[in-house]
Amino acid sequence: MIFLTVGTQFPFDRLVKAVDELVGRNGFDEQIFAQIGDSSYQPQNFKAIPLLEKKVFDKHISEASCIVSHAGIGTITMALDCEKPILVMPRLKKYGEVVNDHQVAIAKRFEELGHILVAYTEEQLPDKLKQLKSFIPRKRKANPDAVANRIRQFLNNLSESRKG
Amino acid sequence: MVKNKKKLRVCLVASAGGHLSQLLRLADTWKGYEAVYVTTTEVMQNKLSKYGKVYIVGECNRQHPLRVIKVLLWCIRAVLKERPDVLISTGAAVGCIMCFFGKLLGAKVAWIDSITNVERISLSGRMVRHIADLFLVQWSELAEQYSNVEYVGTVI
Repeated sequence: MIFLTVGTQFPFDRLVKAVDELVGRNGFDEQIFAQIGDSSYQPQNFKAIPLLEKKVFDKHISEASCIVSHAGIGTITMALDCEKPILVMPRLKKYGEVVNDHQVAIAKRFEELGHILVAYTEEQLPDKLKQLKSFIPRKRKANPDAVANRIRQFLNNLSESRKG
Repeated sequence: MVKNKKKLRVCLVASAGGHLSQLLRLADTWKGYEAVYVTTTEVMQNKLSKYGKVYIVGECNRQHPLRVIKVLLWCIRAVLKERPDVLISTGAAVGCIMCFFGKLLGAKVAWIDSITNVERISLSGRMVRHIADLFLVQWSELAEQYSNVEYVGTVI
């Protein structure tokens, strides 16, 4: 199963429609399931649900063979944590899909690092989707403990100096 | 319960959404301190209230100046009422506002710039950098680009 998710804060019809049209045109050898949030476009060629419960969402991520998504940092890091190949299409400000173009910058950086595939336009989607099946993402490890320790140290020093 | 006078009052500030979820990944860090949360909407209020007192100050950005004033007033109220010893924020605008007010009243400031800022530090972060006592970024390249900025790892 390929899991398509576009985030829930704003609609992202462009990606849902692009995937739907691609499947309608060429067919697709794998089942697709989508969480489409507020998107108004209703796909004809695969099943889509507006919003999954967090637990169910996590299950879909872990059971999917590949993930197709907007370039939201949450979804990207989640896919990489599960070592899933992920293809993203960044939301663009010019279409009112997001407030600024930070998703393009995120997509570019993670792509350069070999973690993800990126389709910057709908036209790039078919080729990238083909590549996705054999794409082996470079592993990535978040390090929240290092950040936490640095802040802990900062707070400890502050505590000590106040006591003194 | 006797209140420990030496215990630091820590004020955690983040806009609802990605900023707040990055901040909450670090929630164990301030266990044992007196924690107060300031955020923009009610979405996470229930979860946050398990960790400490919560202030909801409303959303704002540069496109809505009137709303900014309202948020400023709520922030002043929160900071005067709580008098934190230290503020920790992941952004965005509300984090910036709270850090400046806190600093004016003598608090220390720790800023963790959001991982979504890849090519440069966020606008809020660029302002707070000048008053921050600890400034962390989540891309090593950014630490090389700016002075007084540290990279130790990513939160997510």
